[in-house]
Amino acid sequence: MTRSPSKSKRFGTSMNDKLFDGTNVIVMCIVLIVTLYPFLNVLAISLNDSNDTVRGGLTIYPRAFTLKNYETIFAYQGLVTGFYISVLRTAVGTLLGLLSGSMLAFVLARTDFQARKFVSTFLALTMYVSGGIIPVYMLMRDLHLMNSFWVYILPGLVSAFNVFIIRSFIDGLPYALQESAKIDGANDFTIYWRVILPLCKPVLATIALFLAVGQWNSWFDTYLYNGSSPSLTTLQYELTKVLQSTTNSTDYRGKNITDLVTSVSPESIKMAITIVVSLPILVIYPFLQRYFVKGMTLGAVKS
Amino acid sequence: MKRKILKGTSLLLANVMLMSALAACGSSKDKEEEKQPESTGNGTTTNETTQTAVDTTPITYTMLAADPSPDWNQMQDEIGKQITAKTGITLKMDFATDANKVSLVAASGEYPDIISAKGSSNLFVDAGAVLELSDLIDKYGPNLKKVYGDYWNRLKWSTDDEGIYVIPTYDGVNNTYFDAGGAFSLQHQAVEEAGYPQIKTVKDYETIIADYVAKHPKTADGQKTLGLSLLADDWRIMISVTNPAFQATGASDDGEVYIDPKTYRATFHYRRPEEKEYFRWLNHMNDIGLLDPESFVQKEDQYRAKIAQGRVVGVIDQKWGFQSAIDTLKKDGKPGATYGFYSVQLDDSTVDHTFEPTGFMGGYGLMISKDAKNPERIIQLLDYLASDEGQVLINWGIEGKHYSVNDGKRIIPQDIQDQKSNDASNFRKTTGIGLWNNYAPHYGDGMQDSTGNYYTTNFPEQIQKTYTDEDKKVLAAYGKSTWKDFFPSEKDFAAKPWGAAWNLPVPSDSDANIIYNKLTPIVRKRIPEIILSKPSEFDAKWDAFMAELEKNDVKKYEDEYTKYIQERVALWSGK
Repeated sequence: MTRSPSKSKRFGTSMNDKLFDGTNVIVMCIVLIVTLYPFLNVLAISLNDSNDTVRGGLTIYPRAFTLKNYETIFAYQGLVTGFYISVLRTAVGTLLGLLSGSMLAFVLARTDFQARKFVSTFLALTMYVSGGIIPVYMLMRDLHLMNSFWVYILPGLVSAFNVFIIRSFIDGLPYALQESAKIDGANDFTIYWRVILPLCKPVLATIALFLAVGQWNSWFDTYLYNGSSPSLTTLQYELTKVLQSTTNSTDYRGKNITDLVTSVSPESIKMAITIVVSLPILVIYPFLQRYFVKGMTLGAVKS
Repeated sequence: MKRKILKGTSLLLANVMLMSALAACGSSKDKEEEKQPESTGNGTTTNETTQTAVDTTPITYTMLAADPSPDWNQMQDEIGKQITAKTGITLKMDFATDANKVSLVAASGEYPDIISAKGSSNLFVDAGAVLELSDLIDKYGPNLKKVYGDYWNRLKWSTDDEGIYVIPTYDGVNNTYFDAGGAFSLQHQAVEEAGYPQIKTVKDYETIIADYVAKHPKTADGQKTLGLSLLADDWRIMISVTNPAFQATGASDDGEVYIDPKTYRATFHYRRPEEKEYFRWLNHMNDIGLLDPESFVQKEDQYRAKIAQGRVVGVIDQKWGFQSAIDTLKKDGKPGATYGFYSVQLDDSTVDHTFEPTGFMGGYGLMISKDAKNPERIIQLLDYLASDEGQVLINWGIEGKHYSVNDGKRIIPQDIQDQKSNDASNFRKTTGIGLWNNYAPHYGDGMQDSTGNYYTTNFPEQIQKTYTDEDKKVLAAYGKSTWKDFFPSEKDFAAKPWGAAWNLPVPSDSDANIIYNKLTPIVRKRIPEIILSKPSEFDAKWDAFMAELEKNDVKKYEDEYTKYIQERVALWSGK
């Protein structure tokens, strides 16, 4: 968008261009509002007194401002360990995932790899056929991955989908690069590490984003395998517990209610949690995206 | 130190006495803990024939709980420590939030020592994964026997296998409800303006609403007043629209079926001719414009918003369904727009069965794995929790810390009560009060121990405290002290020998369940249609609805359900 004015100046503006720009701006504004509104609404509810929220009609600003919802969330002690483990699994999982994914993709992109077809097919199969939840659970148990940090990392280390994306990117690079490196005396690992990997930055940035968001958001593996080890639970898991706790305490079904008015409702807590978990991603995203766009153009010019 | 003292094994009775004797030379904190009057109460009621000593060597048991307990503190809370001190047992917990994880554990073949599986208990029993507990309880569980008392037969698994596998811990034994919370409610201001007339039938109910709406077509802030609003959002249609149909026609709550108390024959409750008239009344309310036209399309938050704005004169729903809206009204200083709950019947010919007691229904609870080491220790733990001492501990906490005894009455000091209500989660976490409700056999609200105190911290006297002045004014005008007084008391009924049909586990692959899944969408589609139709079309539409149910095997459903109910009555009566 920033480029279009300079472009239009250079080539002169016609009526059509103006019309196009105008429509473009309006459409983009509508898209912006439509995508931003739900988020602002969530933010407003999270900052609004839950007794007041019940009355409905909240839009993008809180009517009865309070930090009570956030206080409730942060009162849970499990959040600190949870945050630490979540950051750790995101960092380690993303890094190792990138490394192993790109290595496999590099090998699969090599035409001189004999079992190429077999491994590709085998890998593709995992995209369509899965073991199902019970066999997976039993496998994790037999691999002694229960109650261990590595259950977050190892099972999802290689994702077929990511490998294929990276492979097709490497396929797009001229094979001559690898040949000339070989003539210069580079071994296979050097070719991978010094030639291919730097060129793959744009695709790696994309995959990194996939992996990081996936790692950051997942809680089901914590729930299934590490629920009984409080030192290994992730932020998302801890937050679901907070939500359950408020839901439980406002569930009056079949109970004699003798305590007075509650000050937080599950709805408000849900909104506050949404903000808490999406904030880190929101902060990191622009940085990654900038790098990602840069990498894209870099690759484009070179090829 | 305490553990060392306890290591010298003794009878349960002697144990208690020893504790109180030795605690005198312990720290002052211990002293207060042990000098509970309940201890002696416990001693006298304990079965003297239990010659088994309580082993208190430290041991850790793994446990899977089917419900999340976010404040669970690895037994590092005050109550948890006390329980460990008394029994030597520490629980290592894993929580499930859905049936998936429970089925996973069941399928994996490696079972935690203690399993709370809720609706999935059958997976473990069918797999032979859990112990039959009758003998263990006989030997080690005198207090368990005391708590379940008359309901012993209701613990049995099935007519084919009368063993006890599950120790019910979710429901309180002999729980009583102190107050009514549904289904027919009216704003105080409407009742007041009408001059507190008799409210007995739907006609009375309608008149009050009609008069108020006619006089106040708009609320103070200019919004349209709504006569009657219902909620039909997903399963809530049962609570707000269809359950009131049997409640208003003198039937007790058995879920989607009506059970004939003499023949135990089940009827899909919509097929009772009386209920047709209830829906005709709703149809009439819609016809004269008193029914909120959004009733069948609104979502729960929209519905609550309307109530919270004080616009809805009459609500047919359970109080827990719109409690948060009532809280908002109270906070906004609109007590006149909050609600009273009345016993309303279609006509004078029926009696409101809302409080017909079900008796203790057993239900969800704990199982013990066949692989658990020393399962008798687990029974001893549960037996301790079921003792009077244990009951007071899990409900009230530790004497001197969480409650005090004045003139033989247990009282929660104000500062503790404030913490409990204002910082609920931390309070639970540090004290452990409230964490054991689903893990321990327990008495329900309203049960008193030998000292005349209530076992739980909810008791009838507290209900008055939750009333606003407006509530009290309306109640006083009718000469009642609680909303429950409008209803026939549970003492007027005998407990239903089948408990309640809604708590009957119907196998998921049974015909009854398959047919039910076909019938539900029909009900949820046709009932709103019928209510919103023109009165002249009502009969034709109702007949079509009945025909559609019959076409979808409703009779077979009823037959199967009848069979289940009769089996349960046979099992529970011990015949």
